[in-house]
Amino acid sequence: MVDVIFAVFQRPNFLTFVIIFLWGFYIMVTRYNLVKKLIGMYLVQTSVIFFLVSISVKKGATIPVLLSTTEPVQAANYANPLPHVLTLTAIVVGVATLGVGLALCAAIYREYGSLDEEEIIERLE
Amino acid sequence: MSHQLPAILFLLPLFAAISMPVVCLKHRHWSQPISVAILAAMVLVSILNLHNVIQHGEVRYMFSGWSAPIGIEWVADGLASVTLVLLSVLGLLCVVFTGPTFPKALGGRIVHFYTLILLLVCALVGMVFTRDLFNLFVFLEVAAISSYALIGVAGGRALFAAFRYLILGTIGASLYLLGVSYLYAVTGTLNMADMANQLPLLISSKALIGGLLFMFMGLGIKMALVPFHAWMPEAYTHAPESVSPILASLVTKVALLGWIRITYWVLGAPIVIFNIPILLLVAALGTLAAVIGAFLALAQQNIKMMFAYGGISHIGIILIGLGQGNQTGFAGGIFYLLNDAVMQAALFFLAGVAFCQYGVRTIDDLGRIGKQAPWLTGSLVVIALGMIGLPPTGGFFGKWYILLGALEAGNYVSIAAVLLSTLLTLAYFVKLFESIFRQSSTQLDVQSGEIPFSFKLTLGVTSAAIILLGLFSAPIVQLLLNHALPPGF
Repeated sequence: MVDVIFAVFQRPNFLTFVIIFLWGFYIMVTRYNLVKKLIGMYLVQTSVIFFLVSISVKKGATIPVLLSTTEPVQAANYANPLPHVLTLTAIVVGVATLGVGLALCAAIYREYGSLDEEEIIERLE
Repeated sequence: MSHQLPAILFLLPLFAAISMPVVCLKHRHWSQPISVAILAAMVLVSILNLHNVIQHGEVRYMFSGWSAPIGIEWVADGLASVTLVLLSVLGLLCVVFTGPTFPKALGGRIVHFYTLILLLVCALVGMVFTRDLFNLFVFLEVAAISSYALIGVAGGRALFAAFRYLILGTIGASLYLLGVSYLYAVTGTLNMADMANQLPLLISSKALIGGLLFMFMGLGIKMALVPFHAWMPEAYTHAPESVSPILASLVTKVALLGWIRITYWVLGAPIVIFNIPILLLVAALGTLAAVIGAFLALAQQNIKMMFAYGGISHIGIILIGLGQGNQTGFAGGIFYLLNDAVMQAALFFLAGVAFCQYGVRTIDDLGRIGKQAPWLTGSLVVIALGMIGLPPTGGFFGKWYILLGALEAGNYVSIAAVLLSTLLTLAYFVKLFESIFRQSSTQLDVQSGEIPFSFKLTLGVTSAAIILLGLFSAPIVQLLLNHALPPGF
């Protein structure tokens, strides 16, 4: 048990990921305000992106442009570009989703005059 | 030329979607004919592609010439090509159907509506072809974002349903992405074939199992598998009549196809993790979905809601077929998937016609228009035969092959689940017909006039397709057995 706790604190980045993810999830589940739900959703997405970045960190490595064309390539000297590209794409996807979500929120507000989930459900009945 | 067909299939709707707002800036009414033309061209190209794949084997398409583990790889194999023919035909029918059902609240935004439909189709094409896990995520999200917008497009109750779908769908996508990053951290690759080569050595890794769990949960939300199905009936019921057929028939089914790719092509089907055979898990989830979905459908009054729950139970039946671990069961499951896509489209066309032409939303109202609507009642009979699974329809043969597969595997719980789900389907269609043929009910006073040609066309073609799929079930299943099985199965 103690080993596990020590192992967790050895990797603060994973701990941070778990905290942000669960925090976002908690907001999504407990808040009735639709915009707050979107904030929680964005936290969840961001935490996954954070995880992707944190697993691809390489200490002492440089940008993935070859330092020399004559010597054989040392993979340990260069950062892996792929996770960063994935991260960029995931950020774009997240922003698009958030945009559609905010547009829906605005339309819901115009239609029902409220952003509170319970009030809207009352109107729907 | 022929090896470019997958890219052409993807680029046709993409370029049409991008150029649509410019081309149709002055002439809004052009947008539907253009979409119909694009999808008709896609039908032709996809049939050519299927012919090419059957003749010369699968086509591997490498983007910008980067070969497989480094670049993004698309593979047009038998399964993808057959699904694409179905996808483009159903997409074409859905676009033809949109004309008279067009929501009035939309007004001048008709061009953007068709742009979104074409974007949705191009994302689905990408999901069918791709063999790259991250590429699958991107297309999953493009398809999902266009469906959120399409559901909410007409305002009203649909807005709230779309918002809930957005929240749940995004949780699903985030879980899927988390799973992909776990698998990437373990294997260092995103290509399905490359990952499949590395997995047998790593099968006891906890990160791998966690990643797979997250991926399956994420895709489970996207395809409305039973514990995660809550968003689906509400979203499809309140979506505009012109949108729900394409969502119900294609979006969930293509997400299911992604799930099949990961289970069979990446994981390798007969694998055992922690003493739990994966296939047993698939069959158990299918059993749960098949029975619970059908029970919930029985309890509904709104016809669209009932059909949506019917779709949930059919996803369960497909999974039962796939979980048997033999070729008959797999081919039966895929054949049932094709059938189910056609039947879902037909059901939602029917619900759309019932509402737009006769203003009917509930089962009781449906009873009151019975005699005035020969097209509606006629196609309902055919669809009911297909949904219940009676002989000359495709639904019967799909279930038949699934049952044969289950017998071969000696899996009697699966057989019982398929039969129980069939009985429940029978029960909810009896409920519909009882209301239609009840003589005492007062006739609804509708001055509906002649129903539009596009309604007749879509109802007629889907009903004919349900029967034709049954009549030609033997060659189609043979084709699936020859060309669509996973490697080493």
